[in-house]
Amino acid sequence: MDVGSILSILITSLMAMVPIVLTSVGAAWSERAGVVSIGYEGVLLMSAFFGGIMAELTGNAVMGLVGGILTGIVFGILHGVLTVYLKGDHVIPGIGINLLAMGVVPFGILAYWGTAGQHQMAVTMWHWHTKYGDLSPMVFITILIAVVTWWVLFKTPLGLRVRAVGENPEAADALGISVEKYRFWSTVYGHALAGLGGAFMSVDWLGVVQKTMSGGRGFIALANMVFSGWNPLISLIGGWLFGFFDALATWLAPQHIIPGQFIRMLPYIMTLIIVAGIIGKARPPKADGKPYKRE
Amino acid sequence: MEEIPVLEMKGIVKIYPDGTKALKGVDLTVYQGEILGLLGENGAGKTTLMKILFGMLHPTAGKIYVKGEETRFKSPADALANGIGMVHQHFTLVEVFDALHNIILGMEGHGMFSKIDVEKAKKKLQKLMDDLNFQVPLNVPVEELPVGVQQRIEILKMLFRDVEVLILDEPTAVLTPLEVEELFQVLRKLKAEGKTIIFISHKLNEVIELTDRVTVIRKGEVIGTVKTSEATPQILARMMVGRDVVLRIQKPPKEAGKPILKVENLWVKGDRGEDAVKNLSFEVRAGEIFGIAGVEGNGQTELVEALTGLRNLERGHVILNGIDISGRSPKELYELGIAHIPEDRTHMGLILDMTVTENAILGLQWREKFKRWKGTIDWNKAKRHTNNLIGEFDIIAPGVDAPVKSLSGGNQQKLIVAREVSKQPVLIIASQPTRGVDVASTEYIRNYLVKLRNEDKAVLLVSADLDEIIQLSDRMGVMYEGEFMGVVKPEEVTTEEIGMMMGGIKYEEIRK
Repeated sequence: MDVGSILSILITSLMAMVPIVLTSVGAAWSERAGVVSIGYEGVLLMSAFFGGIMAELTGNAVMGLVGGILTGIVFGILHGVLTVYLKGDHVIPGIGINLLAMGVVPFGILAYWGTAGQHQMAVTMWHWHTKYGDLSPMVFITILIAVVTWWVLFKTPLGLRVRAVGENPEAADALGISVEKYRFWSTVYGHALAGLGGAFMSVDWLGVVQKTMSGGRGFIALANMVFSGWNPLISLIGGWLFGFFDALATWLAPQHIIPGQFIRMLPYIMTLIIVAGIIGKARPPKADGKPYKRE
Repeated sequence: MEEIPVLEMKGIVKIYPDGTKALKGVDLTVYQGEILGLLGENGAGKTTLMKILFGMLHPTAGKIYVKGEETRFKSPADALANGIGMVHQHFTLVEVFDALHNIILGMEGHGMFSKIDVEKAKKKLQKLMDDLNFQVPLNVPVEELPVGVQQRIEILKMLFRDVEVLILDEPTAVLTPLEVEELFQVLRKLKAEGKTIIFISHKLNEVIELTDRVTVIRKGEVIGTVKTSEATPQILARMMVGRDVVLRIQKPPKEAGKPILKVENLWVKGDRGEDAVKNLSFEVRAGEIFGIAGVEGNGQTELVEALTGLRNLERGHVILNGIDISGRSPKELYELGIAHIPEDRTHMGLILDMTVTENAILGLQWREKFKRWKGTIDWNKAKRHTNNLIGEFDIIAPGVDAPVKSLSGGNQQKLIVAREVSKQPVLIIASQPTRGVDVASTEYIRNYLVKLRNEDKAVLLVSADLDEIIQLSDRMGVMYEGEFMGVVKPEEVTTEEIGMMMGGIKYEEIRK
C-alpha cells in the first residue's frame, strides 16, 4: 500500500462518514431528550430522493440539501406528534417510515424520472477535486455540526434541559420545564440532521438516486450512537471509523487477499469492536423511549 | 392579634376520576415562620392535599390563598413562582447530573445557547450553603450520594428558588436516625430564618419533637389542629387512628392449633438495598389469623414478597409445616400449600386483558385436572371449574369468557380469593385484601378469611386498614421500620396504643 492509496482511502472515508455521523448526532440529541426513532433509515432514503428532486427543480445542489432537511423535518414532526403529544409507542412510527420509504422511493424514481431503480443526478455539489479523490465541503460542515451539537448539549442551558427531560421528565416538569416542547423539537432536530445526511448522498457524494441507497446506514448510525454512549463527539469518531473501514474494504476488495464476504463485514465488525472497546458499557438516558404523562 | 396566614386552604375537595373521595372539604392554615406538622395514616389525604398546594393536582372544589390573596396553581412552576416548594417522598433528581446542575436546572441564567457559568452558580450555591451551615458535594453525580444528601439537594433546589414555604412529604421515611437529626437541625435553622415549613409525617415522636402546631387528617377530613406543646403521643394517636371499631364480623372463639408458618430471625432488603425487614420472628398457627398492622412502607411488602418467594431472603429462615422453605420459588411454595392474595390486584393478582377463565386457573394450569393430552389445557374443564368458583363466591361477571377487566374491583378481588383458595392451601397470605373494594365484597372477603380460619387454615393478614386487622386478627404484630413494636391480642389493647405502636413506640414502653 502506497501513500496515494492511503490518502485516497482517507478522503473516501471522510465522505462516507457524513450520512452516518449526521444521523448518529441527530439521533443522539433526540434520544438524550427521551425520544427513540428507528425511522432514520427511511428518512435517509426519502431525503436522498426528495433532495434530488429539489436540486434538479432549482438547479442548485445546496437547495437539494435544504430539500433533504425539509424532508427530515416533515418526518420529525410526524414522529414527534405521535410520540410526544399523543404519547404513542416510539418504535412503531419508525417501522412505518421505513416501509413507506421502501415503497415511495422506487416508485418515485420510476414515476418522476422514468428510469427504474436509479437516476443519475444532473445537478451535484461542488467538490474539491484532488489527485486522490473528491472532497465535499459537507465533510467540514458535518464535523462542525457534531462539535457544536456536543457543545450545546453539554455546556448550555438548552442542553441541560434536553438531557433533564430525557433522564427524569418528572424532575424537569416540577421545575417548570415543558417536557413536550423540548422533546418535540429535539425529535425534529434529529430527523432534520438525518435528512441532511440523506440528501448529501444523492446530490453531493454519489451523484445518483438509487432505490436502495440508504443501505442500512440509518441502522448503523443508531448502533454507532449507542456504542458512542449518546455522545455526538464520539459519534463523530465512530462514524469516521465506519467510513474508514468502508473505504478500506472497497480498496481491499479487488486485491483478492481475503475473500470478499469477509471484507464487506470489515466496517461493521471493526467499528463495533473499536467503539465498543473504547466506550465500554454506556447507559441510555433513563426515560429514553418512555412517553411522559403527568399524573 | 389577627395575623394574616402565609397560606390558607379552604374547603378543599378532591374527587378522583374513579370516584374516590380523597379529600372532603379540608381547611388548613399556615402561619409565617412556623413548622406545621401534617399527621395522618396512609390514605388519609396528606399527600393529596400537599400535591394540590404544589400545583401537581387540581382540586375539585375549594380555594387557596397566599398571603390573603386567592391564587390558582396550574402547575408546580406556578407554585414555585408563588414561593411554595415541595420535597417529595420520592426525589425528583436527575440521577446522572451533579448537585449543581440539578439545582440550577431551569434557572441557569441568561441565554439558552450561551455557556452555563458554572463558577458563578457554584459561588451562589456555596453562599447559600454557608448561610444555612449545611454542605453538599456539588460535583458528584447525585446517584452516588446517600439519600440523606440527596434530600438536602432537594431542599437546596427549593431554597435556590427563594421559596418561603417548604413542604416536606414524609422526609424521614428514607433516613437513618443520624440523618433525621441533621435534617431537623436544618429545618430549625430555616425556621429561624423566617421560612415556613409543612412537615408531613405519621411518626408521632418526630412530629412532637419538631413542630409548632399539628393538624391531623383522617380519611380526607381534618380532625383538628393542636399546639404541639399541648399535645402528647396519646392525644395525637387518638386523633390519628382513634375511632369506634364496628364489629360486624362474627368470629367464634377458637383455640389455635400447631404452628404452620414459622419465621425465624428474618432479614430482607428493600429495593434500595436498605434493611426493610430486620430480624423478624413470629409464627402463624393453624386456625388463627395473624394480622400485621402498620403504616405502609414499614417492610410489610418486602416481608410478604420474601414469604411468597418473590424476593430473596437476606438472612434467617422460613419454615412451613416443619420444612425449611427459605429461598424456594413461588411455584414450589404454591405446591407446598401457600396461597397469596397480593396487595396489588391489577398488577400482580390478575392479567386484566385475559379472560375470567384464564385468570381463574393461573398458577393451576399445569395441574392434572385441567390437562387433556400432550399437555394441552382442557378449556371445557377449566370453564366448568371457573363457573363453580363464580357460583360459590358469588362473583358477578358477564361470563367466563369476558376479559377480567370488565369485572368490578370487588369482583376481581373475589376472583383472586376464589382462585387462591381453590389451590387447597394450608397457609393464606392476604395482603391488603380489601383495598379499593366495595363494602359488600369487603364484608364477604373478611368473612371468608374467618371461615378459612375456622377450617383450621393459617391466615397471615397484612393490612394498612386498622379496623380490618382489629376485627379479624386473633393476634397481631404492629410493624414499624421492619420490626414489630409489639405482638398483641387486639382485644387486650386500645386503638390508641396501636396508634402509638404504628408511630414507632414499643409496646413495653407504652405499658410502663
